[in-house]
Amino acid sequence: MTARSRSATERQRRLRALIPFLVLILVAAIAFSLPLWSGRAMTGFAVFNTFQNAATLGLLALGVGLTVIVGEFDLSSIAIFALGGLLAVRFGETQPLLGVAVAIGAGGLLGALQGGIMAATGISSVPLTLGGFIAIAGLNHIVANEGILAYADYEVGLWLDSPVAGFFSPRSLIVVAVFALVWAAMRYTRLGPEIRATGADRRAARASGVATNGLVTLVFLFAGMCYALGGALFAYSTTAAKYDLGLDPFIFAVTAVLIGGVSVEGGRGTALGILIGVVALSLLDTVFLQLALPTYLVDLARAALLLLVVMIEAPDLARKVSAWRARRASRG
Amino acid sequence: MIVPASLRRHALPVLIGLLTVLLVAAAFTTPGFFTLGNAQAILTSTIFVGMVAVGMTLIMVSGSFVSLALATTATVSAMIFMALLPWGLLPALLATLLVAAAVGAVQGLVIGGWNANPIIVTIAAAAVMEGLAIALSKGVTINPTGLDYRILNERFFGLPLGVYVLALLVMAVEAAMRLTAFGRMVHLVGDNRNAARAAALPLGTVGIGVFAIAGACSALAGIFMGSFNHSASLLLNRGTLGYDAIAAVLIGGAAIGGGRGTVLRTMLGVIVIAVVTDLVLLRGYTTGTQVLLKGLVMVAFALAVHLRQETRA
Repeated sequence: MTARSRSATERQRRLRALIPFLVLILVAAIAFSLPLWSGRAMTGFAVFNTFQNAATLGLLALGVGLTVIVGEFDLSSIAIFALGGLLAVRFGETQPLLGVAVAIGAGGLLGALQGGIMAATGISSVPLTLGGFIAIAGLNHIVANEGILAYADYEVGLWLDSPVAGFFSPRSLIVVAVFALVWAAMRYTRLGPEIRATGADRRAARASGVATNGLVTLVFLFAGMCYALGGALFAYSTTAAKYDLGLDPFIFAVTAVLIGGVSVEGGRGTALGILIGVVALSLLDTVFLQLALPTYLVDLARAALLLLVVMIEAPDLARKVSAWRARRASRG
Repeated sequence: MIVPASLRRHALPVLIGLLTVLLVAAAFTTPGFFTLGNAQAILTSTIFVGMVAVGMTLIMVSGSFVSLALATTATVSAMIFMALLPWGLLPALLATLLVAAAVGAVQGLVIGGWNANPIIVTIAAAAVMEGLAIALSKGVTINPTGLDYRILNERFFGLPLGVYVLALLVMAVEAAMRLTAFGRMVHLVGDNRNAARAAALPLGTVGIGVFAIAGACSALAGIFMGSFNHSASLLLNRGTLGYDAIAAVLIGGAAIGGGRGTVLRTMLGVIVIAVVTDLVLLRGYTTGTQVLLKGLVMVAFALAVHLRQETRA
């Protein structure tokens, strides 16, 4: 690699690291300029709502993001998220913490099982977690008895969503605490570099002494716990759990992960970036809500955004653009 | 890889044997399974999954894993077909196929040409299609104009027209994959994308072709779905059509990483899925059990096929 190309790569890396912040600033500018062009305003409650929305899907995005950073992709995440809610409601009727513990245990177990199979066999995560998604979705039908499970203890939800310092709630603070924990673990321990090394080039990471199999299993175990905890908190908050949440939460999570600077190729990304992606996307949802746009339009916009981001991330598109630039430069 | 070599070698035959024994045992102990009516019902139920699975096979062989947009393509195509019926049956049919092929082609360009992540692209594409379908239909069910479409529900020799169309589709696509340069390119790209690029194969064109065919096959399924239900809305997408198609392709032995798989073998997978669904329904199991079983079968086959490939490699 020449000095010139090295500096170009470094410049590109820095620019990528800035993307989550730039997106958040852009969305915040749109949100807080609402009164100028729509006659609607971002109230304190709207900001609170943004963090509540971020709390709902934040842990789902964190889990998915970690699996992408380690070079895999967890399609079963949304089914485990739903299962977490169902188990929390089913087992937490009298003891909410027991419900959360059962949910987290089941999520971790399913995550570890899938991660362990991947590590032991070398199978790609796509078919395995797709089959896992379908199997767990079936399990969700059975746990829910083909219906919606209602949670009778309203007090838990009211406490979880009660305002703290104006903009936050115990639920959003729990989620921020998990993000902070992961950020610190990836920043100050060997976990961060090892997860990124495994995601970037598994063979090279293994040759450098990284226990890649154990690491993939650990990441899937932790991701499963994150999905289940997110689902449990959401179920307590809404006092109900459904067996099928559709794919919209998953689309939200993946979009937030990519906006948050995680490379779909693996090996790049941080918990802070994912959190910023989640907050930016939640803020965008709040803007849509303030504009009173119909739900399908919000879903459409989110999907179009995901399509745009994944197209920009496409490796061969970047290659084609570079080749085109080089051709143009040589002509000039 | 820490799986013993003997397990890797024998996983697939053992799994096939186990599934066969289970299915045969379940068939003999399920009242009403061995009847002509039930055999017709099983064949009829292969129409929608079979058509989608034909396209899914091409996608998997081309190395683009799977598409999670094909079931939505089928549903939205059913809506387009119903909405266009005032143009006449044939124009509505052709226009629906063309629209679905075009939508597939765009995804194929992004996935095949630019190497974008197929799972994310197709999930997003499905959501965009659903959003547009709601916007254009205003969320209401689309009912057909006239009765011309009913010819698609006609029966010949006890089987609906869709079964014959599926058989023709399978033969045509299988022949195209075996006998044309396009078919060979799809296999080569799926087997080794980097080598295919080095050999100057048109990756974008292959991607566009594969996804356009998959889109058209799904549209055909949608056209028959709409006709069968005498109306169309996004509610048609509530089942497990897309997942059944993926499971069928995996059971048919296609390699998830690409390069291997045939449409004919996928049809065996389609029949297995249809028999499993039929048995589960006849035995009165819940939807949850049905979905759980399909998921487990899919995981088991994906694993077994993967282990067999590792042995060969």
